[in-house]
Amino acid sequence: MESDVEQRIEAYLSRLRGRLRGVSGEEVREIVEELRSHLMDKAATSGEMTAAGVEAALAALGSPDELGSQYMTDNLLARAEVSRSPLQILKSLFRWASLSTAGFFVLLGSIVGYFFGVVLMLVAVAKLFHPRTAGLWTYSDSSGMELSFRLGFSSAPVGGKDLLGWWIVPIGWLAGGALVMLTAHIAIWFVRKYRRSLLLPRN
Amino acid sequence: MKERDESSQETGDKWEVQLRKGCLELAILAALWDGKLYGLEILRRLESGSDLIVSEGTVYPLLSRLKALGLVRSEWVESDAGHPRKYYALTPAGKQRVREMAGMWARFSASMSKLIAPLAREK
Repeated sequence: MESDVEQRIEAYLSRLRGRLRGVSGEEVREIVEELRSHLMDKAATSGEMTAAGVEAALAALGSPDELGSQYMTDNLLARAEVSRSPLQILKSLFRWASLSTAGFFVLLGSIVGYFFGVVLMLVAVAKLFHPRTAGLWTYSDSSGMELSFRLGFSSAPVGGKDLLGWWIVPIGWLAGGALVMLTAHIAIWFVRKYRRSLLLPRN
Repeated sequence: MKERDESSQETGDKWEVQLRKGCLELAILAALWDGKLYGLEILRRLESGSDLIVSEGTVYPLLSRLKALGLVRSEWVESDAGHPRKYYALTPAGKQRVREMAGMWARFSASMSKLIAPLAREK
């Protein structure tokens, strides 16, 4: 049966484990085992583990939420570095954006990049189903000439011109794909630079 | 006047915190130069061998980051205490990195010492 002090340690580690969502099972085990080992050593500095020793050791580590957050930040950024998945990259950028202004701007830029990339690809696909109305259209209105990506669900703009015609299909795919890849590439470059400069995510 | 003193004290404190933080990576890698250590040993080495006041909750995530960067490797070793301990050691890349950092640190501190030397004379 676990003693009170052991239960206190397990409660802390269990709370920490709960904060490490998204970290691989193997890594979570490593982190938790290392901290358990640390707490047992620290709390038993003068022989037996005492309640006061355990409390002091836990206090020195800080709250499990804050500690988990430090591990999470790095883990997310590390995964963004090796991942090409826009979702993973955006997840990491959201995390970074919550920590710094630089992260916020990189997130904003990435959202814009991904958005236009995806729109280009969507228009390319839509052209196959709505050949007469989907595409990159230009038309003039009260504020001057407008460019518009249209998926073709509504009628073509009056007096408008489908700029690329069927060329939107290969161009949309190529340019959209390239934009998504370029956005990922630039975002990862920033993440890598940030990670290298990062010693501590928070005070 | 008192307010200004307090604010200048606060700025000084922040600067000191940043300075200490900035040195932490070098301090941890340097502590491992002589051989492998586990987390608590690294903390004790830093506390006894330097002026760095290190938060424990900072060192473990940092060690994990240094490992992810390939600068240190880790292994679990059984101990007399009845539980295994995670030991860290420098990788060849870590050795190279700490050598470079130590070189930079020596050059930087020498030039700063030269720059602040006049302050010592003005007493």
